Amino acid sequence: MTRIALLAAAAAVAMTAGAVAQEGPIKIGASLPLTGNFSIAGQKHRQGYQLCIDLINEKGGINARQVELIVSDNRSDPATAINQYERFINVDDVDAVYGTFSSRLTFPVASILAKNNMVHPVPAGGALRIYTQGHKNIFYFQPNAAEYAGASLKEVIETLVPADNRPTTAAVVAADDFFANAIEAGLLGTTVTDPADGSVVADLSPGYLEQVGIEVVFNEKWPEEGFNDWLNLANSIKQSGAELIVGLTASAEEAVQLTRALKTVRATPKLVYLSQGTQAEFAEGTGSSADGILVHSSWHIDAPFQSVLVGEPFGNPEFAVAFKEAYGEVPDEDSAIPFAVCQAIEQAMTATGTTDNAKLGEWLSARTNDDPVRTILGRFAWDERGLPVDKPHLMTQWNDGELQFVFPTDEFKTSEMSYPKGGF
Amino acid sequence: MAHTLQILILGLALGGVFALMGAGLSLVFGVMRIVNLAHPVMIIGGAYVAYWGFRLWGVDPLVTLPIAAVILAAVGVILYKVVFEKEAKAATYSEMTVLLTFAVAMIIEGALGTAFSNTQRVTSPDYATDAIFIGDIFIPTGQLYAGIVSLVIISGLALFLKYSRFGYAIRATTQNRDAASLLGVNVNLVSMVSFAIGVGLAGAAGALVSFVFSFFPAKHWEWIAILMSLVVLGGMGSILGTVVAAFLLSVIAAFVGAYVGATWSTMTFFLALFLILIVRPQGLFGDKPELA
Repeated sequence: MTRIALLAAAAAVAMTAGAVAQEGPIKIGASLPLTGNFSIAGQKHRQGYQLCIDLINEKGGINARQVELIVSDNRSDPATAINQYERFINVDDVDAVYGTFSSRLTFPVASILAKNNMVHPVPAGGALRIYTQGHKNIFYFQPNAAEYAGASLKEVIETLVPADNRPTTAAVVAADDFFANAIEAGLLGTTVTDPADGSVVADLSPGYLEQVGIEVVFNEKWPEEGFNDWLNLANSIKQSGAELIVGLTASAEEAVQLTRALKTVRATPKLVYLSQGTQAEFAEGTGSSADGILVHSSWHIDAPFQSVLVGEPFGNPEFAVAFKEAYGEVPDEDSAIPFAVCQAIEQAMTATGTTDNAKLGEWLSARTNDDPVRTILGRFAWDERGLPVDKPHLMTQWNDGELQFVFPTDEFKTSEMSYPKGGF
Repeated sequence: MAHTLQILILGLALGGVFALMGAGLSLVFGVMRIVNLAHPVMIIGGAYVAYWGFRLWGVDPLVTLPIAAVILAAVGVILYKVVFEKEAKAATYSEMTVLLTFAVAMIIEGALGTAFSNTQRVTSPDYATDAIFIGDIFIPTGQLYAGIVSLVIISGLALFLKYSRFGYAIRATTQNRDAASLLGVNVNLVSMVSFAIGVGLAGAAGALVSFVFSFFPAKHWEWIAILMSLVVLGGMGSILGTVVAAFLLSVIAAFVGAYVGATWSTMTFFLALFLILIVRPQGLFGDKPELA
């Protein structure tokens, strides 16, 4: 009798332990560039992910389970990022993953996550080639592939710039980087090929600049790392006499260097468009030189998107307040985008009642414009490639130290775009 | 012609900054045979001193420069005592210092990132983005001031090495450590002071870099190869050689950037490194290595 009682007690303990293990925290892994070239954005991505998870846990977690974020620093190195995601899956036994930052890191990571049948929510990795590899369950959380970002610049010129004073010539300078090359391809209308077999992914001719009647009079690239000769480059841009300067930088740091150099050489373009520069660090590094500079963005604090967090309404004002409380500073898109990634995965887990990646992927794939994921970046539904449907880039402009939201004008209230820029 | 002159000016302007960045590295190798891979991260340390001085109190980086130099020199003394002193007599000292300074660089980078975050910084005194225009030709004032200050500091160092009693001791130690010791030179003290001066020069260079380039803790990895190419081209241990190499390579890189393409301008430094190692391994001003 005693032996039976002991066995029963042991079985009960074992069952209880099993139940506790089942109800342990949901583990989510994210490999981020906390050091190295992408460290500025990487740090902000961690803040965005962590804030979202903290808020979810405060509200009781997902399906009554707390969430644990495991972050590893990949040092901006693709091989390290790959290793860390494999470790998350095979050693840490995570329930889900969040994506990393940049197209350069996302491209190889996407293959690993696809091979392991993980849902891959991508906060930053806009190169079209990432989405033409046939991966299932990859979902991009910015408006569109980087190749199509130039569409917003084209529309800004067509709708907000006086027809008799539009720029007619352009200097297009770009980092020799996955992301910058992608935007440049759309602007110049070149062909995008698959790096694996050279097959054509997209033919973007004639390009957004030609469509709006702008001739490219100067086109130059600088190396991905170690470039210091910004004044020489800025001088060449000035000498080209281009009325539109397009600076496709891979990081906010490069955007600062380019803008300061253009100021030093006293360039006087009508319009300047940069691919990076929404961050507070850009404003600090450039000061009033930033006035009039256009930067495309996926998020703006004034965009009144209605989103949801653990079943409750949660908009950009709440996000800004929570971020300021947590980190003592105003958020920018590098924190807002990962926050939206976290919102979407939470909504998928809540709706399906599981952390099964196959079911999460099915649910996310089934979103439509009428029944979307609702995030602080707005609504998301994706096509079969994993690219968002019907979602234009926002265009912002620095004026008097404030990043103003100027385009699109038909969705919600915008500030008036200043034009022409003139000097720096 | 004007275009060529402009490129020459921009190359020289960049060279002035690189000269001071590389001078301390060269001094430390010359005296102590330490290949200091942590030198660029110490430049970042000096840049942070200048940045916070400017941001918190509006102090011009050129004013903060001596403070940055002293703070970093003190760091140099501590590092020497803790890391390098006891290994100085080891047969494989130079080789060991490569690994040691690599580790030191990573530790300092981590400490800077923890203290100041990994976000980019840059100081913005008015002259940093201004220029003196003479017709169509311009001289960027930020680089001009940085270059002048850099040359003044290097000239002062050269005078110190040539005419001061301690400078004699440093040069004697550079030429033959054992002979200097036999003649009564306290080579351990000379090594420590030389290391402190070298790291102090990194601090001074950092103050100049703070308004010429934007920076963050991990930025030093981009500079180490450039600085090593300057030191190798100039002749390991030759400060004059490093200065000449800095101006020479910066001017060549500027012309390459303007006429071949910006993508190739950075390659100039690495190409020079390969060529000099093949053609003249002792560098422009270095002594020919003795055959064993």
